[in-house]
Amino acid sequence: MASKKMLCSEWEPINPMEYRGIWVYVEIENGNIHEASLQLLGEARRIADELDTYVGAVIIGYGVKKLAKEPIYYGADKVFVVDDPRLEKYYPNLYGDVVYKLAKKHKPEALLVGGTMRGRELAPYIANNLKTGITADLTSIEVDKETGDIILIRPPFGAWMLAHIKTRNRRPVMGSVRPNIFPTPERNENRDGEVIEETIKEVLDSRMEYLEYIPIEKTEDIPIEKADIIVSGGKGLGSKEGFKLLEELAELLGGVIAGSRKAVDAGWIPHDRQVGQTGKTVKPNIYFAVGISGAAQHIFGIREAKRVVAINIDPDAPIFENADYGIVGDYKEIIPALIEVINEMKMKKSGSNKPSL
Amino acid sequence: MPLDIIVGIKWVPNTTAVNIDPKTGTLIREGIPSVVNPHDLTAVEMALKLKDRYGGSVTAISMAPPSALAGLEHVIGMGVDRGILASDRAFAGADTLATSYVLAKVIEKVGKFDLVIMGHETIDSSTAHIGAQVASWLDLPYVYYVVDAVLEDDGETLKVTRILENAYEKYRIRLPAVISIAMHTFNPRRIRLSEKLRAKMEKPIEIWSIKDLDIDPNCAGLRGSPTVVSGIDFVPKVPRKNEVFQGSDPKEAARWLLNKLIEEGLLDL
Repeated sequence: MASKKMLCSEWEPINPMEYRGIWVYVEIENGNIHEASLQLLGEARRIADELDTYVGAVIIGYGVKKLAKEPIYYGADKVFVVDDPRLEKYYPNLYGDVVYKLAKKHKPEALLVGGTMRGRELAPYIANNLKTGITADLTSIEVDKETGDIILIRPPFGAWMLAHIKTRNRRPVMGSVRPNIFPTPERNENRDGEVIEETIKEVLDSRMEYLEYIPIEKTEDIPIEKADIIVSGGKGLGSKEGFKLLEELAELLGGVIAGSRKAVDAGWIPHDRQVGQTGKTVKPNIYFAVGISGAAQHIFGIREAKRVVAINIDPDAPIFENADYGIVGDYKEIIPALIEVINEMKMKKSGSNKPSL
Repeated sequence: MPLDIIVGIKWVPNTTAVNIDPKTGTLIREGIPSVVNPHDLTAVEMALKLKDRYGGSVTAISMAPPSALAGLEHVIGMGVDRGILASDRAFAGADTLATSYVLAKVIEKVGKFDLVIMGHETIDSSTAHIGAQVASWLDLPYVYYVVDAVLEDDGETLKVTRILENAYEKYRIRLPAVISIAMHTFNPRRIRLSEKLRAKMEKPIEIWSIKDLDIDPNCAGLRGSPTVVSGIDFVPKVPRKNEVFQGSDPKEAARWLLNKLIEEGLLDL
């Protein structure tokens, strides 16, 4: 038979042709829109223009109506708002169910979710309710010129390769995107758009109760994705103590410390300081990779660094092929030497600029 | 109140042993040993801790080819009571929707459970999808990144603490539920010889096929997967200067490097 392939009996049949619009789930964090969501609005705008469709933003919660125009200033054409006291607290299944219901009603072609920790928790639930596919941590989006299909691109295991992922016969195409993969578009208060208030009759019983929010006091205030200078350590440091030297250098240069996945896995540095495909993408002027062998996933995370400096005892470490300046040697000798020379240079400068007493 | 716990594990290539072919820039996969996803071992440890505290049972489940039996043997060596491997050619090529469906059917067939525990994510694909998808298939409440869980006196709710980027959150969650454990929360316990011997005697690992699970073949494997890889590109290599200091004196090396960076206007010392 030349008939269509049999559909999974658990899936509701859909007509992909009916699905239009590029949607962004807008995450609210402590009463503000998360920057990761704004970044997605910019990318959604680009895709929507290519497909000649609209950008939709979804805002749900309680007391969120006042934020409804904000996505429009960043590129949305329509904002779907559910402002409901039952949504005062975030429960993944409850929020997931509401977004699912909105998507089922309005049939967007794509739905993007910021890959924050909450976003990565929420997105697969929405996708599963819709019985559609989802791609985690995509790094770019393309439109197939011939078919108009939206292709999501992500580095799979071994980041030298990029997998182009297509969603067959199911809509919306869904993906999560880590913060700072796309730039934040400029805010433009002159943009026009429509706010659509939605009501949900019956919400899912979350079977959860929110008890407490305890902020974590961060000792360092510059997140690595915003730092101009990063001194990053890997397994080659040999111990947690090695990071003290890196910290000294970073402080001297007004930078911050970070680490490779192996350093994070060893517990030498917290997860939010991890650079790489499964950590963060960083864009410093100078990235010092100290004792980092240079796994593909790591190189991926520093692709936008202006200059990469490699310090490694192994002259064959792949990091040297991916660095601008390399020094082969023991970091325990090189870093103190750097600190010493920087101090000398700083002293010389202050000596020549200031009149001596 | 005893807790019957199901924990999901994945048998993955050991990425710490992966090397890159310096000529082609591709992965050398041959001879790469597989391991239980390290973050799943953290989940197993959490399950065993809860069992130590409240009694009950721990069942490990996995969907994989038969070679993954070694992974289930590993966690049984840690003290897991029972292992179930969903294994069938029809499961091959599954994306996370189809994988989570098979796992949800396994959980349904196990039947009696209070809690499903997953690892933070896997080290090979890092999607962190399966926990939420299983919760969706089974209509269960769920929460990710748990660092602590305490069973309440009623025996029907779990009080969990979870970690986000900038905060801890505490939730009360009614059982049965799905939780994922934040990476590095616990060090997994070592394998005990007594448990391995028990495993040899009792043979507590079962293999369930698509027939055993009564799964519509259109919902599993490649056929049950909306997403497909339609092409592979190489990551465009960022051009770098590749200048390496020639010499062995650390101070000379430091001067060389700092002068380069100052000349380029990237440092102002």
